[in-house]
Amino acid sequence: MQEARVIRPEERIRDIPERVFLFRSCTGSIEYPGTESAIRETLKMLGVDAVMDPDQTCCSGYLLTCSAHKPEVSLAVTARNLAIVEKKGLDTYTFCNGCFGYISELSHILLHNQAYLDMANGVVGKLGYRFEGKTRVFHVQELWYRMKDTIAAMLVRPLNGLRVAAHNGCHYVARQYGILDDGGYPTFHEELFELLGAKPVFYKERQLCCGYAVGRGFTHKEELVQPHLYKKFKSAEQAGVELITTVCPGCNVALDREQPNINKRYGEAFNIPVIDLSQLIALCLGVPIHKLGFAANTTPLNGILERLGIGKETADG
Amino acid sequence: MPREKEKDLEQDLYSRIDVYKLAPNLETCLQCGKCAGVCPVANISPSYSPRIIINDILRGRADRWLESEEIWRCFWCANCYTMCPMDIPYPMLIMQMRYLAIEKGYGLKYFFPFKKFAMRAREDGLTFAPASPKAREKIAKIRQGIGLSPWPEISDKAREEYKALFDMTGVTDFLASITEDNEKPVRSTYLEGRITRARGKGN
Repeated sequence: MQEARVIRPEERIRDIPERVFLFRSCTGSIEYPGTESAIRETLKMLGVDAVMDPDQTCCSGYLLTCSAHKPEVSLAVTARNLAIVEKKGLDTYTFCNGCFGYISELSHILLHNQAYLDMANGVVGKLGYRFEGKTRVFHVQELWYRMKDTIAAMLVRPLNGLRVAAHNGCHYVARQYGILDDGGYPTFHEELFELLGAKPVFYKERQLCCGYAVGRGFTHKEELVQPHLYKKFKSAEQAGVELITTVCPGCNVALDREQPNINKRYGEAFNIPVIDLSQLIALCLGVPIHKLGFAANTTPLNGILERLGIGKETADG
Repeated sequence: MPREKEKDLEQDLYSRIDVYKLAPNLETCLQCGKCAGVCPVANISPSYSPRIIINDILRGRADRWLESEEIWRCFWCANCYTMCPMDIPYPMLIMQMRYLAIEKGYGLKYFFPFKKFAMRAREDGLTFAPASPKAREKIAKIRQGIGLSPWPEISDKAREEYKALFDMTGVTDFLASITEDNEKPVRSTYLEGRITRARGKGN
């Protein structure tokens, strides 16, 4: 622990970028496409140009690297994807904690181990790419926090004291160094909620992992994941949480899709909608509801939209 | 009787596990146990403890964990790493222990689902793209409702090159080489907070 872990947003993102490379997330674009759409709409409103590239592939993911394949392919895929971004001269903005943690960790490993860099560049070199480490990796939540005053000034649908709770997601806070807040107990999501007019709720098991857990939901669901999530939802329910936000489509899958199963197993009636922080911000900035893709959610939004004065007819159109 | 010299002691026992050299500071472990205290898995399954696993790796007793079910329980949430006063990247160890376990044929039932995902990701360039046309249709419907293209915009070039990287790095061969024939049962089982080695039949 030689260096300061936490840095100010102005140090992390010195100048607000005009153009960014938005790194497509597999889970984000398949399970909750509304996340990607909400981010693109919000960036447009904030005057930031989002560039995407169909040649970018999956980041290859912690999920597979921790359970199936060895890291050689992961290093090569990271080198290839980042080489594509470098060519455009942009910084990489991810919207999945998995992509963020994975790409930043692996590019760090590449840039600090010459042998790994040579291996990866040797492989991707055959396809005509070369990774030099010029692009920096960010998560869009960092940009939201950096631009929080601009966002607050553009608010058109304030949340009227809605009780919102944060789920930070492990792969962002576990980076530890150079992140926006204390990895042990980050609170910058709550600051954003307040700016949006919501009432931030701190629940006891706020720091618990989502249980997506590099695929433990497939192998140890009944034994570990469900009792684990039960604790989380129980404490959220007791604290009166009305909405949970995540910054990772993977967390969203675990928290949203698993709720009915937990209710069935434990005889509970948890009904806490889970959406992405970017979807919440886009909602407050007045992005049309159909562009936020709430239809993908398993746990419905419980009339939250109606409470905010967004009628059914607007919701459909 | 000559005194034991330092070079006679076996150094770097953990390099057998840390093959990719991702946890070079493992020997600084203080055995303080903060990792076990914040571990959500240890909370539910007391036979799993990052502290004990690190201790065993440093003392060359990693095999009992490679053969165990416990290493497949880790959530990889990195609470242990966040809490560790010495910044030991414990998740990187678990990842490498799983590779070694797979190679020895242990815990394969926890590997096969992901082998399937990996082989499909190799074709799609995306992880978790469902195979069934019905599920794909549902995704297309939601995406089009938002005003997005029916399928994530990923080019044929990206798909081909993603596949090529799997092949070039030997990962396709690695995945193909692990089959059910290699499978050995995981030997340690969780029983009321203790690891008990199976002794003979029916135990």
